[in-house]
Amino acid sequence: MENYRNIGKPEVRIDGREKVSGAAIYTADLDFGPNLLHAHVVGSTEASAEIVSIDFEEALKVDGVLHVFTARDFPNYQFGLYMKDRYIFAQDKVRFHGEQVAAVVARCPKAAKKAAELVKVTYKKLPQVLDQMEALKEDAVLIHPDLENYEHVPWFFPKAKTNIAHWRKVRKGNTEQGFAQADFILEDSYHVPRYAHCAIEPHCAIGKFDLSGRLTVWATSQSPHTQRHIFAEALAPLGITHHDVRVIAPHVGGGFGGKAGVTMEILAAALATKCKGDPVKVQWSREQDFYNTYQRLGVVTNLKIGVKNNGKITALHHRINWDAGAYVEYGANVVNAVGLSAIGPYNIDNVSIDSVCIYTNLPPGGAYRGFGYSEFLFGLESHITRIAKHLGIDEVEMRKINGIKEGDTTAYSARMNPSGLHEAIEKVANEIEWGKKETSKDPNKVIGKGFSLFWKAPAMPPNASSSAFIKFNEDASLNILVSGMDIGQGYLTVMAQIAGEILGIPTHKIRTENPDTDRNPYEWQTVASHITWSCGNAVKKAAIDAREQIFDLVERTHHLHRETLYLEDEKVKCTQSASFELPLSDFVINGIQVEDGTFKGGPIIGRGVFMPEFSSTNADPETSQGGHPNVHYTVGAGAITLEIDKETGKMRILKVVEAVDVGKALNPSLVEGQLTGGLMQGLATVMFEDMRYDANGRLLNPNFTDYKLPTAKDIPDEVIPIIIEVPQPDGPFGARGVGEHTMLPAAPMVANAVEDALGVRIREMPITAEKIALAYKAKMEQSSKDG
Amino acid sequence: MAISHEFSYEKPASLGSALALLTRYQGQAKILAGATDLAVQLKEGTVTPQCLIDIKGLSELDTLAFQEGQLVIGANVTFQALVHSDLVRRELPMLGESALTVASIGVRNRATIAGNICSAVPSLDSAPVLLVYDAVVVVTSERGTREVPITDWFKAPRRTALAADELVVEIRIPVPAVRHRGVYVKLGRYRGEDLAQAGVGVMVTEQNEYKVAFNAVGPVPLRSAKLEALLRGRTLDDALLKQARAEVPSEISPITDIRASREYRIHMCQVMLERALRAATGLLAGKSIDVEHLV
Repeated sequence: MENYRNIGKPEVRIDGREKVSGAAIYTADLDFGPNLLHAHVVGSTEASAEIVSIDFEEALKVDGVLHVFTARDFPNYQFGLYMKDRYIFAQDKVRFHGEQVAAVVARCPKAAKKAAELVKVTYKKLPQVLDQMEALKEDAVLIHPDLENYEHVPWFFPKAKTNIAHWRKVRKGNTEQGFAQADFILEDSYHVPRYAHCAIEPHCAIGKFDLSGRLTVWATSQSPHTQRHIFAEALAPLGITHHDVRVIAPHVGGGFGGKAGVTMEILAAALATKCKGDPVKVQWSREQDFYNTYQRLGVVTNLKIGVKNNGKITALHHRINWDAGAYVEYGANVVNAVGLSAIGPYNIDNVSIDSVCIYTNLPPGGAYRGFGYSEFLFGLESHITRIAKHLGIDEVEMRKINGIKEGDTTAYSARMNPSGLHEAIEKVANEIEWGKKETSKDPNKVIGKGFSLFWKAPAMPPNASSSAFIKFNEDASLNILVSGMDIGQGYLTVMAQIAGEILGIPTHKIRTENPDTDRNPYEWQTVASHITWSCGNAVKKAAIDAREQIFDLVERTHHLHRETLYLEDEKVKCTQSASFELPLSDFVINGIQVEDGTFKGGPIIGRGVFMPEFSSTNADPETSQGGHPNVHYTVGAGAITLEIDKETGKMRILKVVEAVDVGKALNPSLVEGQLTGGLMQGLATVMFEDMRYDANGRLLNPNFTDYKLPTAKDIPDEVIPIIIEVPQPDGPFGARGVGEHTMLPAAPMVANAVEDALGVRIREMPITAEKIALAYKAKMEQSSKDG
Repeated sequence: MAISHEFSYEKPASLGSALALLTRYQGQAKILAGATDLAVQLKEGTVTPQCLIDIKGLSELDTLAFQEGQLVIGANVTFQALVHSDLVRRELPMLGESALTVASIGVRNRATIAGNICSAVPSLDSAPVLLVYDAVVVVTSERGTREVPITDWFKAPRRTALAADELVVEIRIPVPAVRHRGVYVKLGRYRGEDLAQAGVGVMVTEQNEYKVAFNAVGPVPLRSAKLEALLRGRTLDDALLKQARAEVPSEISPITDIRASREYRIHMCQVMLERALRAATGLLAGKSIDVEHLV
């Protein structure tokens, strides 16, 4: 075991005091002075309609109103992350209820809102399709008739003249033979609705196009550089280039995937270009945050698994139909990621997966913590439990029999990375006392236990990269310049720990600040749970670069062999000379003075870049064989002890356990925070949250009155996070990603516990008290009928 | 979010001037007490009054007292005041327990029980306790003062017996002279603050008099004469409870909406009625029962 000073320690967050004391400045807090303009956006009142006319004469008469902008001001400015299928304002037609149709710009929010209410939009209704299974039908209305003309990344396969924006096919082995060998086959379908991120901070963006033609955007952001790139691409018709665009990202009040890519931020950027000289603010309300950013995609799956009587899986077929919404520029990559991984953490020889991205007239789907894995794991891990029950094999044993190990092949036939999956299974089973039946003191209540495995890989382009600069200050304190975002996971702190470990500096002497794309080096996005791994590697390399400069200088000035030098306690020390101690603060800015009175060296500045050079998406589109699309998988297991009131269906979580193999917990208390927080978010999606639409595609619950997020009163009695550490060979100090994974086992383990307790199987999320009570009541009525 | 429409704001110094304003605006004014509903409606533009009349300065509406066998609750009394009142805990614990189920601490610090019955949504948590204790609403206007029995108060969703020029002064709850205990059971989607998916209130006296009320399972909160007649004078046992449960579906008319299905609401009213009755009689018999967690 390495003897680390900073790594593996539960260091206090470097941004903690600032945040808990209220000193932290968020985007909406920024002060732009009296010239700040406010935009209010007019949203579509139809899910699918032609825009016949937009009359804003009355709106312009409101005192304080300067402009009203529509698609006419931005004709056919298409943009998107992975597929350019969306527009700044709806062009000739609207594709979802709430889509931006016009924006009023005024001197105060009140005038802007008042004027927006006076904008008259005339629509001619078009046929709509709100359900992905309907959208698949041959005679379904085409939401994007020009699909074949859209630019997209090479790993997407849209089907022209259909609503299928992408179809990820995976074929491995021979599923026909696999099913023929099976002693038992279980086939069933599972439904997962859409979900909202509900970050505590709603989206906000301010654009300023200054008199020199410089566009600066301040935004609530997980992806400042990617946003800069998309702004430059979308606004290219105005002559704007990357060189002209700057994105500044202050502290973020929660992301969960919702602030990745570009949604409403495009409005601040675009409107600013029409209001030269004055900043323009777009502040989303909670309602707009629900219906016009990204939502988690809805899913209908069909899953078929064949097994031998000994529990060994012989074949899997997984068909996953995604309700991806009106624009899929980001959401289609969720579909892609799941297509590659919907085998789950299992070693299966014969696999066929169809993950299908389907346009619907609902709000755009996009990234959401878990990136599609929660959705397919609900069905898959429900299925494993059901099959084990049928075979009379303990379900934990069934998972051990089939669980993937290092060197086994994935669905696309790459080798599995080192993994602590089996250790996680053991530890979770022990902690939850698997196999020990528990009974409630209350005769109305029963207790069940549920188990689930999970895995997830980062979903990223094969060349997604991170970079870092490290600069020393006179007192040997450090500034780390990176462009990832601290969205709660503790990224800023962990980067400081990595640099501090290499350079012998305590974490509290290191600043890692939020990025400005002009000053900070490139980062792809803070998504995919890749930032600790990828940016951590870049920071480590930058720190090593700085260290080598230090050793160069000391070797040159003190004539000591560099192999004998090391950094500790803010000093350069020497293994051969106990008395040699050179404080870093003596020279990291001003250099080292030599005998002749001159100085050598100068400011120490480290530079590091990381790109996973082994990754590739070049694969056969019909089988997905041949590439190496995913860099690694993080795995784990979870289990729950659930007490259920038989009459009311109300659940109380007595205990929940989750183990995840993080490779190396760089900061164990932050990892435990992720484990606990992710579990709570996962359990919320299982038990309470649910987006509901009316027959016209209007979201019925864009508020916390009817979109329920659990409160402190609803948390489990006991939460046990377990950290497993099987090092990731290419991770910084062995670390791999953990942020999203922690919510993944929630849904299936609850479904499995409900069945264990009551004998009813719920195949449709959320698993509410109502669903449980009615299912159990129906079961009891049936059994009393059967006598 | 900005409020886009214009209105005037008045804070009258006396009850008389408040009533004069109500007369003058002829239904175009809104009373501002806690404003926990009103502020949201103003922001969303679902109400567009010409004037807001802030009654928070009228100290004659602050009464919370026990007078001549009645609990008197002024129009400015907040839910949190009811939760924390020793008087309420002593004389009518069901009132404080019901108040505790309303929204969150922040909202309870502002919201008033009088405002709650004026909003008159079908799910209002204060209805069952007022119904089972036969509360009276005292309203006044420049035309005079009248008393409206709570059973006549709720006319339709969001509509009450209050005329446009009238102001609720206080709610009076007669406290039975005999030993009694009331229990409110609220069904929410979780333990955090929620609007009732369904609710049942019962009151039992030592003479086996029973009062039963429901909320969120019809256009207005209601009392169930049929259930009360069935239970009257009888001691609770399994057979009687079974009979009572069987009567529930014909006494309520719930709908299916985003918060719950009709089927679940009916089922849960049966469950909650039984649990509320058992809890109320148990409490009367001196048992210790956690009324906050009956469902």
